[in-house]
Amino acid sequence: MLEAIDVTYKVGGRELISGISVLFAPGKLHLIVGPNGAGKSTLIKVLARYLRPQIGRVEYDGIDVANTGEADLAKRRAVLSQAVEAAFPLTAREIVMMGRYPHFGGRPGPVDEKIVDEMMELFDVAEFADRNYQTLSGGERQRVNFARVLAQIWIDREHSSHDGLGPRYLFLDEPLTFLDIRHQLAFMKMVKDFASHADVVTVGVVHDLNLAGRFADDVVMLHEGRVKAVGAAVDVLTSENIRNVFGVEPSFIPAAGVGTHLIFD
Amino acid sequence: MKALLSIILLLTAIVAGPGCGRFGNPSNDTTGDRVVVISPIYNEIIWALGAQDHVVGVDLSSTYPPEIKGVTTVGYHRALSAEGILSLHPTAILTSEGNIGPPQVIEQIKGLNIPIQSFKAKNDSVDGTKALIREIAAFFHKEEKGEELCRNLDSQLAASLEKVKQYSDHPRVAVIHFGRASNVYLVVGKGGGGDAGGVSKMIELAGGEMALEKSGMQRMESPEIIAQANPDVVLVTDYGFDRLGGSIDQIKALPGVETSNAAKNGRIYRVEENQLNYFGPRSGENVAKVAALIHQ
Amino acid sequence: MANRPSERALSLALVAVALIVTAAAIRYGAIDFSFADISAALSSLLPGHAEPTIDQRIFLELRLPRTILCLFVGASLGVGGTLMQALFRNPIVEPGLVGTSSGAAFGSAFFFVLGGAFHFADAIWSLPLAACLGGVVSTYLVFLLARSREDGRASIVMLLLTGLAVNALFMSAIGFLSYLARDPQARSITFWSLGTLSGANWRSVCIVAFSTVAGTTVALRYSKQLNALMIGEEEAAYLGVNVNRLKWIILSVNVVIVAVATAFTGVISFVGLIVPHILRMMRGADNRFLIAGSAVTGAILLSVADLVARLALRPAELPIGIVTSAVGVPVFLYLLRRRQYVF
Repeated sequence: MLEAIDVTYKVGGRELISGISVLFAPGKLHLIVGPNGAGKSTLIKVLARYLRPQIGRVEYDGIDVANTGEADLAKRRAVLSQAVEAAFPLTAREIVMMGRYPHFGGRPGPVDEKIVDEMMELFDVAEFADRNYQTLSGGERQRVNFARVLAQIWIDREHSSHDGLGPRYLFLDEPLTFLDIRHQLAFMKMVKDFASHADVVTVGVVHDLNLAGRFADDVVMLHEGRVKAVGAAVDVLTSENIRNVFGVEPSFIPAAGVGTHLIFD
Repeated sequence: MKALLSIILLLTAIVAGPGCGRFGNPSNDTTGDRVVVISPIYNEIIWALGAQDHVVGVDLSSTYPPEIKGVTTVGYHRALSAEGILSLHPTAILTSEGNIGPPQVIEQIKGLNIPIQSFKAKNDSVDGTKALIREIAAFFHKEEKGEELCRNLDSQLAASLEKVKQYSDHPRVAVIHFGRASNVYLVVGKGGGGDAGGVSKMIELAGGEMALEKSGMQRMESPEIIAQANPDVVLVTDYGFDRLGGSIDQIKALPGVETSNAAKNGRIYRVEENQLNYFGPRSGENVAKVAALIHQ
Repeated sequence: MANRPSERALSLALVAVALIVTAAAIRYGAIDFSFADISAALSSLLPGHAEPTIDQRIFLELRLPRTILCLFVGASLGVGGTLMQALFRNPIVEPGLVGTSSGAAFGSAFFFVLGGAFHFADAIWSLPLAACLGGVVSTYLVFLLARSREDGRASIVMLLLTGLAVNALFMSAIGFLSYLARDPQARSITFWSLGTLSGANWRSVCIVAFSTVAGTTVALRYSKQLNALMIGEEEAAYLGVNVNRLKWIILSVNVVIVAVATAFTGVISFVGLIVPHILRMMRGADNRFLIAGSAVTGAILLSVADLVARLALRPAELPIGIVTSAVGVPVFLYLLRRRQYVF
């Protein structure tokens, strides 16, 4: 369970997000939508504890996350950002292995190696293992980073779903940039699958309202730093909300097999 | 990896080979005194005395007489290396006071009990030069030759002074010198110690007058220094002159020179440092040469 | 990236090369010592043997400490380069280019010229401390001025330009001190700007050895965190790294090891630039290997440079900065032209 309680974050007197109170239940995919400048990225960063809110607090399973240690948090919480640059020529595998850094002291153990292998297979980047990350395309890089992020909060489901670390928290900050359609859909399916586990809280930011409508269990719509609406996609992505918040006029087209498709004018 | 190894092997091969130019000269193999002499004036006198066989190493600035270039050099006098000097197995090091560095190298040489010796006399005047010649002559047991040099100096000086009397004018002279240690151009004033004093006296003997009142050497920071002095003649020592490519325009570009009488009348000349900056065995004739130069 | 030599093989190779180079450095110079000469010199230290001859003393008091100092200074500069590149997240920086060395030189020069006026001049740590303070000021200046306000990352252009300016500032300050100083109290500006190992003695060896080993050990502890920093400050934070603390620790270690070395040798540039680059070419960018590897490679490179400096014009010596610049500048220009690096 992840809860934001009356969170406000200011920069230089200006409030980027104000009075946000939202409950994020585990086992569901929560997606945050909103126009540019609505505060989506800020909210994710506050939830992930990169930024500290001036007012309010964020609770992970009832405990104020401000009091949790860095190293401990890193084992349970991971963030997939938009575009990660490597300043030096690192291999893709080295980057994925970084996800395991919070879990080992000096050198990676066999468990860490195995997890990295698995994640690279899962995201179809095993062939890049020894390639220089700097030479990969945007989409390839994003998959490598996703592998890294999941390696970070990996759960051993075979032996026990409780390894003493507690629930996991996955944050996705506009992760679909640079991905082609095929990979976007594959991504979202994997994310949804991951999010459905009972011991994971997954919160993401997406721009594409169709993807949000299709994959989210729960949508949070932000407008000018405040929560405009929270709930099931069909309740939040209404004509009225979209018109007021995004300033475009939606038409709802039924699409076989996937529900409703939105077209904008 | 292999590249690294081959580089090292190559370097080792280079090491075994000869050095280049002056630096590669084999050291003199002599019995008795082996001295490293780090002072242009000491070297000039030693060669004039015919005692050069004892000299196993000299500094970079010692360039007179031309034959000296055949002797191993130990580098620039302010950037010496102890090992370099000591590899020549000297029995003593001769240098003028406080002239050598860096300080830690001097410590090292002293620590290894190699005497560093200066002569008491200083070549800041004709008399001082004669005393120096005699001291060095005594050190190398060439007293007779020393006396001969002194006599020559006296007679040449007398002859030069006679020639100087021919000139009726006393041009005001500014001397510009490039200080290599401090990497700046300096202008020499009237009197003062060391080289500056020597220059002043030389100019005065040559029938000129030092344009700058302030004694010693000053940096040419502001144009006022030269402008106020307004010299009739500007002399630039060889290194500094050549450094600007020998271009009179570039010299005029130094602070204050442009507006001076010297610049206006085109009386800017190059002069060899070892003729002007210090007194030595050739000073007698040098006076006449300098006089000719400044009275042009 | 394929066909990387294994870490073990590479480590052994580097150590082997270091031993060869050290042996050459001990043997060759203005005086060449044969192995027989060397063992005779060493045995003269044992009780019961004759007093050492002048040549043996040269070996024991000049050559040997110089060779060892060179190893440690080279190691400091190599590690300094690696840490600086990790910190600024740019492969084209090194302590000489971003002001650390000139600041340290200024601190040392200040100590020589004005330290006598303050009565702390004689403690063994006074000089290295003065150098560190100078290095801290200059590096901090560059670090602060070159950061972009958006992401905190310093672009290469800003770093180089700011470094250039700060270098000019501190070198002119040294010039000013030379002006104030009474000769021979001040070391000439050539000493500071071109560097030399000629002043090596056992005291300086001890001090530099201590700072190098201590600094490198601390840095190694943070190598994993430095790796994380390579993908960005935010990402590193999510991986559990306390980024601010890491930056301050690494910056301090960096400045200390470079400053202490510079206090005894003057500014030696480009070693810190070349060394990490060579290692990255051989084995990639993992800091765990890079830091230790830079120490050994830096020691090797500087020893080779000093060998050249001592032999090229023997018995005179080239300032070692000339040798490192002669190799370093072309490498630097080459690195700038390669578009592999992100600006």
